[in-house]
Amino acid sequence: MQAVAALERDAELMLRVRVGDDTSFALLLDRHRNSVVHFCYRMVLNQAVAEELAQEVFLRVYRSRATYEPTAKFTTWLFRIATHLALNSIRDRRNEKGQESLDKDVLEGVERQVADRQPSIEHEMVYKTKLAEVREAIEGLPGKQRAAVLMHKYDEMEYAQIAKTLGCSESAVKSLLFRAYESLRSRLAHMA
Amino acid sequence: MDCAIKSRSGAQALTDYCAGTMDALQAAAFETHLRECEDCRRVVNVQREVWGALGEWSPPEVSPDFDARLYARIRREEEVPAWRRGLRRLFQPAVPWTTWKPAVSLAGACMLVALGFLVRVPETPDLTPRVERVDLEQAEEALEDLEMLTPSVAAPAVAK
Repeated sequence: MQAVAALERDAELMLRVRVGDDTSFALLLDRHRNSVVHFCYRMVLNQAVAEELAQEVFLRVYRSRATYEPTAKFTTWLFRIATHLALNSIRDRRNEKGQESLDKDVLEGVERQVADRQPSIEHEMVYKTKLAEVREAIEGLPGKQRAAVLMHKYDEMEYAQIAKTLGCSESAVKSLLFRAYESLRSRLAHMA
Repeated sequence: MDCAIKSRSGAQALTDYCAGTMDALQAAAFETHLRECEDCRRVVNVQREVWGALGEWSPPEVSPDFDARLYARIRREEEVPAWRRGLRRLFQPAVPWTTWKPAVSLAGACMLVALGFLVRVPETPDLTPRVERVDLEQAEEALEDLEMLTPSVAAPAVAK
């Protein structure tokens, strides 16, 4: 019931944006800013790039306000734009040879600092190492599998919505998730 | 209940069970299966660990100037002439036109078929050997001619 209300609320806000109500755009931004930035971050694993992509997502939403029709869930449309941009970014960055993730460097730097200064905070080290492993495992997934897992896990989307977002069938989403989780299990099995 | 490691539907059940999205009845059936199947128990444990580890991964906070930067971009966009904004909307749509892909493929296929009709393929020569009907009379005449040409008596020996 809450989800339906949220759906109606988003569509209503977007329809107001269509007729020039900028306050409604600010409300939409406030409602979805974090989820879009976090999704982009988990996709590209770089905060600066993620924010740039998220800005492009909202810019495209604003640019398309005049032609907006509430035919699908607003978040489906929003995440479809975000996924498209993130997948393109991953592809472009993969082509740039030798480029390392800035965030990865930062994380490793933090780990080094922690190790040098406070050997007593062993649990923090374990925690950071675990997170680094999770990041690497996620980074090892192909783009679409990664997007499917992120939408399934963090945005709690159902198979049907993920399918609409990725532009594929529901059974294809199940297959993507099956392969993705299988891969994650094999990479992270030692944690169990 | 299908075994999680032996069938696709079982694997989906495992994902749903660990994600907590399975309904109570199905969850009970899955748990019954888990009590009997050691392999599935092991996979569920690992999947739970993966699910938990993913849950611990929190992304950094969004920059405080995120909105300000976005609105600055929007303002810049608004200053661009309308025709350029229109072109941008056309060539840079919010969601890519994936429906164009099959349309382009279909158009390509149609063009190939049309070309096939337009371009005349040269006829290949018929290489099958043609057996001519031999007339019986003609054959007899040929044999007779042959007999006439062949000397009936052996040639006389050359005198020494």
